[in-house]
Amino acid sequence: MVDEVCLNDALLAGAKEVFETMIFMDIEESSEPDRQVEGDALLGSITFKGNLEGCLTICCGVLCAKTIAVNMLGMDSGEELSKEETHDAIGEVTNMVMGSVKSRVQDSVGDLEVSIPSVVSGRGLDSSLGDGTTKILVKVGIEDEYIAELSLLYRASSR
Amino acid sequence: MAKSLMIVDDSATMRKIIMRTVRMSGLDIDRTEEAGNGIEALEKLDAAPVDIMLCDINMPEMSGVELVKKVRELPSSVDTKIIMVSTESSQELIDDVIADGANGYITKPFTPEKFQEKLSPFMN
Repeated sequence: MVDEVCLNDALLAGAKEVFETMIFMDIEESSEPDRQVEGDALLGSITFKGNLEGCLTICCGVLCAKTIAVNMLGMDSGEELSKEETHDAIGEVTNMVMGSVKSRVQDSVGDLEVSIPSVVSGRGLDSSLGDGTTKILVKVGIEDEYIAELSLLYRASSR
Repeated sequence: MAKSLMIVDDSATMRKIIMRTVRMSGLDIDRTEEAGNGIEALEKLDAAPVDIMLCDINMPEMSGVELVKKVRELPSSVDTKIIMVSTESSQELIDDVIADGANGYITKPFTPEKFQEKLSPFMN
């Protein structure tokens, strides 16, 4: 079975691949572990099941989310970005990071069935799957400007 | 010769990203269509077939795998080349969807070079 270090590495590597390939932004594990996502934020989440079950989430501030959406869509500075486009972009990033993580761990955990991503907005957003769950949290700096929290909550399947 | 293309994905953002990536790949596309789900895709294909369809797998209402099977039942679309574009990367799923009638597979995240590589064989 896959261990925490392996999942932590897969989460970071998967996110890096997606940000560099599709969003054209560099991310690095944050050197400020105490720094939090503050103010209005978006939380993208996607669930998975198989030998492991749980969810992967990405949480970032609204300004960061808008920058991600603008980069993903290749929008010019004068173009208007809608709230739906921003939410949709974060959902897609979550989906792609999940896909990238899944491909990295499927040799050790087997195939994972993945849901369709969902996105919520608000303040102080967090995710939980209750008792018996392991949570991996990776804070990343995006372009040395924004902070985002990537998390993987999982437990051995009950089936 | 220029080809016609349809992008099927429930995410409008992803459809835009795919459209932009296809443009960046330099492929000669003269008509593009979009569909947000399998039912809309089938209606549009029935009205005006396309040469190439780029299709997501995980979609609500009708999955990309179901859509491939239904497209292959459309007499007007027997020659349409179907390329799946998905985060799903298991070889078993790829083999299954190819067996169901898809012609190729691109995993997300992708690059213009990847589209060039996978679509070029169908451009002549």
